[in-house]
Amino acid sequence: MASEDVILETIDLDKSFGAVHAVRTVSWKVYEGRVNALVGDNGAGKSTLIKLISGALQPNSGGFRVRGQETRIGGPAGAFGLGIAAVYQNLALVENRDVVMNMFLGSELTRGPGQIFLDHKGMLRQAHEVLDDIHARIPNVREMVRNLSGGQRQAVAVGRALIRGGEIIIMDEPTAALGVEQTQEVLQLIDTLRGQGKTIILISHNIQQVFEIADYISVMFHGELIGTRSRDEATEAEVVAMIMGKRSP
Amino acid sequence: MFARLTQGQLPMARRRREQLLFLMDNGIYVVTVVLFIVFVILAPYFFTPRNLVNILISASLAGIVTAGYTVAILAGQIDTSTQGVLAVATVTTALLFEEVGVSLPLTVAFALLAGIAAGLFNGLIVVNGKIVAFVATLATQGVMLAIALFLSGGQTITIAREGLQEAVFIRVFGIPSSVWIMFFCYIVGYVMLTQTKLGAHIYATGADYRAALLSGVPVDRVIRIALVISALTAALTAVLVTARAKQSAMFGLAIAGSVDFVTALTAVLLGGFSLFGGVGRIERNLVAVLFLTILGNGLQLMDVPTGIILIVRGFALVLAVILSVLRARMT
Repeated sequence: MASEDVILETIDLDKSFGAVHAVRTVSWKVYEGRVNALVGDNGAGKSTLIKLISGALQPNSGGFRVRGQETRIGGPAGAFGLGIAAVYQNLALVENRDVVMNMFLGSELTRGPGQIFLDHKGMLRQAHEVLDDIHARIPNVREMVRNLSGGQRQAVAVGRALIRGGEIIIMDEPTAALGVEQTQEVLQLIDTLRGQGKTIILISHNIQQVFEIADYISVMFHGELIGTRSRDEATEAEVVAMIMGKRSP
Repeated sequence: MFARLTQGQLPMARRRREQLLFLMDNGIYVVTVVLFIVFVILAPYFFTPRNLVNILISASLAGIVTAGYTVAILAGQIDTSTQGVLAVATVTTALLFEEVGVSLPLTVAFALLAGIAAGLFNGLIVVNGKIVAFVATLATQGVMLAIALFLSGGQTITIAREGLQEAVFIRVFGIPSSVWIMFFCYIVGYVMLTQTKLGAHIYATGADYRAALLSGVPVDRVIRIALVISALTAALTAVLVTARAKQSAMFGLAIAGSVDFVTALTAVLLGGFSLFGGVGRIERNLVAVLFLTILGNGLQLMDVPTGIILIVRGFALVLAVILSVLRARMT
């Protein structure tokens, strides 16, 4: 583990909602170019930790180190600036718009006086490039998102993250609502992203799946980070025990 | 180890659905042409230059207000204050031009400003008050109608001063300027909606407010702009209506042509728009407006009693609503 580069680190991150102590002084290392899985039972604090990293929430105390630099993440825009992009569980896609417009929603390419006109050609070209890079098979990028499969949607959402310069891509339960085949599509997508040097933070309930795809598995329990294991040295039984709160030596 | 991302032809059922949607969306073109041909055959004097120009004038008044209304609908905002804006703007026009004696350009400018103010007021209630547009604008419409009533002292203001009607309905290439203004509005609307960032944001905000918000679209600003555009075109229509009738229109009910909330709504829905926002193409609305105008005009020429015409128009709205709901269920 020592030889790996840490791209993002949380430092004693702490977050409470009133009486609920959701994240307790969590110091977590995220390894560059790896799939970093975050597992834990419902209410273990995974989502809160992820929202702190993606800028959707602000911590009560603690901070971040990104590429060795101590920094704060002021909001979603600040996170984008640091190359951190979250792919939300509901994907935040607009059903009645096509693939290209969804990928560029909120960060449209523009041209002309005052940059008020859309650069349709540029967006089309870049959308093709990005989707080709992640081997997404979307035959027609002018297709409405409503007609896409779950796997294709995930590809569009990830494509959007990449277009925004995402180097650290947070995927929150990306296969939760998917069938067997589409789950495989998404796992392949994650593998492809890793192959391109992207860093993935993967939240999942599915231990089997985590063992299939992740390089590192971190476990949260009652708001605490109780351990990180590399996939090769961990067993499913050990991870399940950690999820239930048993600290291993 | 992994299955390839599925090569994607659309599955059969989805393709059927898309075909049906295409039919529902573009059927208005066919229906309008058929109706036109039917009236050419059946309605006396229908296919005369004079009547065709009349149709265009009526269509232009309904068309302009519908153009702006469409933008609001696309942003997911059902703007029911059209009548109120019309009332305020028509009274403003008549008062300034006839009673105060302001010049024509200034009169028009003030009427349009009144429209912008009304749109901003709507935006304030909808965005800052976090109230659904349908309800909020129903309330603001009441306020606007009251203001118009107060300003006009409850009287219709007749315009005796020369220059308004003549200037506004000056003919360019034989066609009254209001028709040109309508085409201009639709061209601007088309370019804005399909070619600009604002247009993309209007569609996205209407289609999925939350997704747009999460994607960094300035949704509140988009809603404000859409409501201002809607009110602005209503005010522009009010100027034209006032000029055509040479008097202010009481309660915003247009004397000439059928410029009202219901017509705009019918046209928008017939044009394949979703009541819930984010879906539709503005050029289809232009055709839907022509359809409604031709329908009214043709029936009138065939000596169908006004009551029956109104019933037919009512059914057009019912049909449009059914189409819209069917469409929403399919997508």
